[in-house]
Amino acid sequence: MENNRQADVENWVSDQLAGLDPDEDWRPNVAQGLARFRGRSAKRNMGARWWVWAAAVAVASCLSILAIPGTRDLLGRLGEGSASRIVNIGQVWAASSTLREGKLAPDFSLKDADGKEIHLAAYKGKVVLLNFWATWCDGCKVEIPYLIDFDQKYRSKGLVVIGVSTDNGGWATVKPFLSQKGIHYRVVLGTDAIEKAYGLSAMPMTFLIDSKGRIDAMSVGIINKSASEAEILRLLGK
Amino acid sequence: MSMEGEALAAMAAEAASPDFERIFRRHFERVARVLARVIGDPTRAEELAVEVFLKLWRAPQAQGERVGGWLYRAAVRKGLDELRRRTRRHRYGYMSGRDGGPPTPEEIHATNEQQEKVRRVLAAIPRREAELLLLHSHGLTYEELATALDLNPVSVGTLLSRARLTFRKEYVKRHGEQ
Repeated sequence: MENNRQADVENWVSDQLAGLDPDEDWRPNVAQGLARFRGRSAKRNMGARWWVWAAAVAVASCLSILAIPGTRDLLGRLGEGSASRIVNIGQVWAASSTLREGKLAPDFSLKDADGKEIHLAAYKGKVVLLNFWATWCDGCKVEIPYLIDFDQKYRSKGLVVIGVSTDNGGWATVKPFLSQKGIHYRVVLGTDAIEKAYGLSAMPMTFLIDSKGRIDAMSVGIINKSASEAEILRLLGK
Repeated sequence: MSMEGEALAAMAAEAASPDFERIFRRHFERVARVLARVIGDPTRAEELAVEVFLKLWRAPQAQGERVGGWLYRAAVRKGLDELRRRTRRHRYGYMSGRDGGPPTPEEIHATNEQQEKVRRVLAAIPRREAELLLLHSHGLTYEELATALDLNPVSVGTLLSRARLTFRKEYVKRHGEQ
């Protein structure tokens, strides 16, 4: 009797799982999959190499600077003044290893084009769209009009759009670009710490952060405007 | 082409060896079908299949004779992770590169209700048991299951029976007797 019951359960479970089979006519597109794989594996290579070179240059620069007499005293005095910023960077680094959807977005505090401090934690209660970009990034230029549109439509409803520029030229490069493109949402200059904390591997890269400060969605590449807008509306409606 | 594009093209040439691409061509369709079975969305299944191969690419030690088993297990795990993410009410699992935007009411109605019941149960039961059931349903032998999931071959039969009972119990709890 027990064997019959077990056999019944076995058959029933098999039937349920067999019902999950996809349509027999569907054929996964191998060529398209391989093209996607090549693109993504190349971006990972470039991201990894970029960090290796940046780290090597940073270490070499630090060693050169420390070799100059008198600089250690100067750095020590600067360090005292920037203690609070170092604490923030430390928190950002601690969050980076486990960053994914559902996790708290790493906090940061950076200045915008007007010198005003933009502190992520201060936007709790609002929905934040955080976008990593650069003036030379073609994909970023495609999606900037979407972000401008979202800012215009939903700023009064609780959306905060923040662009994090990774341009090495700083405000000298970025400010003219902001005027030219008519960007009025908040833009800050990125640092190594924030880029590492958010796992910046390619651009554009976008994070939607809910009103509790948790990452709701993340995207590498140009965002799908309608899907993103629907998600923003859903978060604003919560 | 921009500087960024040229750099990417150069990288792509060295991204995967011919041997790896052979593995890709040989197994991609099967991996995508395994994923589609678990998550139900063929388009998303193809995207996740690429992620499975990216993981394999970063794990050269897995690219040996048993790569097939590794791929099956990785695909089932990826699919179950996706199912669990969905049940956390993340309606749009990704924002970029998808055509068509949100599903229409017609598309939602067309979803197979029975399939979704089974998927909800798979997402709810212990992950190891869900993996065992899905891999077994793909035709893996007890020995292959033991290798794929790092189990004692002698215990596979018992673990499978338990997994079926867990599945049945959870299904009845959620959806009643059939």
